[in-house]
Amino acid sequence: MSELVRHPTGLVGTALLAIIALAVVLGPFVAPYDPQAFHPAVRLSGPSMAHWLGTDQFGRDILSRLLTGAGPTILFGVGATALGVLAGSIIGVTAAVAGGWVDSVIMRTLDGLLAVPDLLFTLLIVTILGGGIGEAMLAVSVAFTPGMARIARSSVLSIRTREYILAAIARDESQAYIIFHEVIPNAIGPIIVEATIRVSFAIMIGATLGFLGLGAQPPSTEWGLMVAEARQYMYRSPWVVAVPGIAIAIAALGFNLFGDALRDVFDPRSRRS
Amino acid sequence: MTAEGKTGIRQPVLDIRDYSLAYGTAAGPVEALSGVTLSIQPGRTLGLVGESGSGKTSLAWATMRYLPANAIERSGEILLAGEDLRTKSLDEIQDLRGRRISMVFQDPGTSLNPVLRLGDQVAEVLVRHRSLSPKEAREEGEAWLARTGISRPSDMMNRYPHEASGGEKQRVVIATAFACNPEMIIFDEPTTALDVITARQILELFDDLHRETGVTALYISHDLGLVSRIAQDVAVINQGRIVEFGPCQQVFGQPEDSYTRDLVAAVPHPDHRIVTGQPDSEEGLLALGEVSVTYGKGSNVLGFLQPKRELVQGARDVSFELRSGEILGIVGESGSGKSTIAKALAGLQDFGGTVSFGSRSYSGRRRIDRDYRRGVQIIFQHPDASLNPRQTIGKILSRPLKLYDLVPRSKRARRVDELLRSVLLPEEFADRYPHELSGGEKQRVAIARAFAAEPRLVICDEITSSLDVSVQASVARLLVDLQQETGTACLFITHDLNLVRQLAHRIAVMLHGDLVDLFDVSETRAPDRHSYTRQLLDAVPIPVEISARGMTA
Repeated sequence: MSELVRHPTGLVGTALLAIIALAVVLGPFVAPYDPQAFHPAVRLSGPSMAHWLGTDQFGRDILSRLLTGAGPTILFGVGATALGVLAGSIIGVTAAVAGGWVDSVIMRTLDGLLAVPDLLFTLLIVTILGGGIGEAMLAVSVAFTPGMARIARSSVLSIRTREYILAAIARDESQAYIIFHEVIPNAIGPIIVEATIRVSFAIMIGATLGFLGLGAQPPSTEWGLMVAEARQYMYRSPWVVAVPGIAIAIAALGFNLFGDALRDVFDPRSRRS
Repeated sequence: MTAEGKTGIRQPVLDIRDYSLAYGTAAGPVEALSGVTLSIQPGRTLGLVGESGSGKTSLAWATMRYLPANAIERSGEILLAGEDLRTKSLDEIQDLRGRRISMVFQDPGTSLNPVLRLGDQVAEVLVRHRSLSPKEAREEGEAWLARTGISRPSDMMNRYPHEASGGEKQRVVIATAFACNPEMIIFDEPTTALDVITARQILELFDDLHRETGVTALYISHDLGLVSRIAQDVAVINQGRIVEFGPCQQVFGQPEDSYTRDLVAAVPHPDHRIVTGQPDSEEGLLALGEVSVTYGKGSNVLGFLQPKRELVQGARDVSFELRSGEILGIVGESGSGKSTIAKALAGLQDFGGTVSFGSRSYSGRRRIDRDYRRGVQIIFQHPDASLNPRQTIGKILSRPLKLYDLVPRSKRARRVDELLRSVLLPEEFADRYPHELSGGEKQRVAIARAFAAEPRLVICDEITSSLDVSVQASVARLLVDLQQETGTACLFITHDLNLVRQLAHRIAVMLHGDLVDLFDVSETRAPDRHSYTRQLLDAVPIPVEISARGMTA
């Protein structure tokens, strides 16, 4: 952890994530207004002492909506990624360990799925499952699975022929011991790094789905939905779109920088000191 | 241009005076060279000897002016025929490289451009530095290839690097280096990446060309035996300092510096046996009956999806026996199948034929059981790769104790301490991770792990070849001590003939997957040796005068 903070990108990433985490945990309690309360007198007003980030088309306080929306938005990203990473890792490790025709069948199937762009794939799944935040999360995680499986597999393959694995096989260790004690601890680095970077993609895809009306439904305060709802007032009062947009960008940037720094920290060449 | 023509004092071709170099890193500058002073007289060969990390390659880079961006030159001068290279502009340096000073690298596989024909790579230098027309350059290049002993030079000119063998590629690199008649050539371990017999041929080539052209050479190597053969002068470098510099005879014969003495004493010499006597028992332990290994069996279900693979025979009908407590050396070039046999015996590679171990016999990898795996332990070549980087040394060493249920849980920590002591490492190492240890220390841990299983046979697959000379000697000695103490038999696989002659009872020679010779070490020079064995023995320089005097010093 201290190595992460010493890294300039790591420091910025960690700081951004800390802010986001604070908003997720404390947001609903420190929000100055009820995020759903209408204030008809001050509709689409700019930032003021009463409403620090202004109000939207119904006069709802944007700061309050942003703070209460942090939880659903971030949890969506983290949840979708976690599910995708878990499923992908299981498939990837299985393919790498099994080898032979099992590996070929799994990987050629995944290659086919990878050919479909993430967003298109997600849309397809959401269309089948129906809209809603849970369905959208599932869809994103399914869309992430092929890519994560590929990363997990290559990570396992690169260490499967290492001499310490050969030593374990020569000792007659069980398959389970080799996978859980020798392979996974050494293969997990790239998977975790990729996962943190993917959280930012998940947040953006979630926002896109919200924007398209396929994710969170009104009156949710999910950030993507906030951007979508305010779209038609964009020219009159830009901050209504800009504020949740910037929040999404900060969260994505935070996870991205954090992931980059994590990759450097996991790199054993930089660990030698 | 050079001072050769002048009478009187001859000006050295390369004169390095008080040169210091450091590399800037995140943790502050790291000193690579400090106060290096050496000079090479025209027509002489200076051998620069040092272990990995000693700064010998840094010195070569500095002379060629190929320094990375984080290099900090603290002081000193590098004079080529009296001109300071440090003051030259990049253009001047580029004009100089190849024309007046050139370099031959360690690995010809990476120093040649894979997408250019070999002929074009030789000709390029001539076109650039001697302003020949492309046609003249090709003719001249071909003549040089012929001089390096390539049998059909015109054919070789049209080949790509992957179509030539390692030895041929190195000949091309050497031809390129000599092509412009430079005043000086730097050789950076030019034979290390080649097998023994090819290395010998390249050395002879170097000798011939050196005599013909009278070029001045800086020959960098970690191999003292080799340097003593080809160089007139030698400089020993340790941690960035030249600790000894002078004529070969003097430096190796009466080394003054303690580091040089250690280095000289560490060179394996076949007459200094570290194993004495014969194995105690005549009891057979291991017997291989026509063991064969074939590589390249792909999956058959989806075989049609994969390009057709050729079957490669890794080992063919290898049979030999090993007695309890015996050390059998297996030697051969890379690709001879010696590691294949190690993998098959360690149960890592499927094989045909039978392996008898103790009273039982096994046919094929699937038949191998835990008893066998416990009794036969393997130690690998690269200590960096053979220890799991995420486990502490204590965990690594206690694993065999737990797996084979040798020591009850409560006594495991004490046994780990014992094991560490037995390989001469401090007990505190139990809490460390592999990356906190040096290469030699890691290899000791790997040895301790193998012996932790209380095996009856230990397979050592090139366990000393990735270590420095001085570390090599101590690791080999440690292995032999443990082996004698425990009475474990040992298969010692190596390409280092001098080393294996020091410690093996018998030696097996492999060539292209066949076992061609098997003999008692005392009969190494007997007249009935296989011709290939004789070739191998002749190719390895025996450091005669070094050890004879070095040991008494």
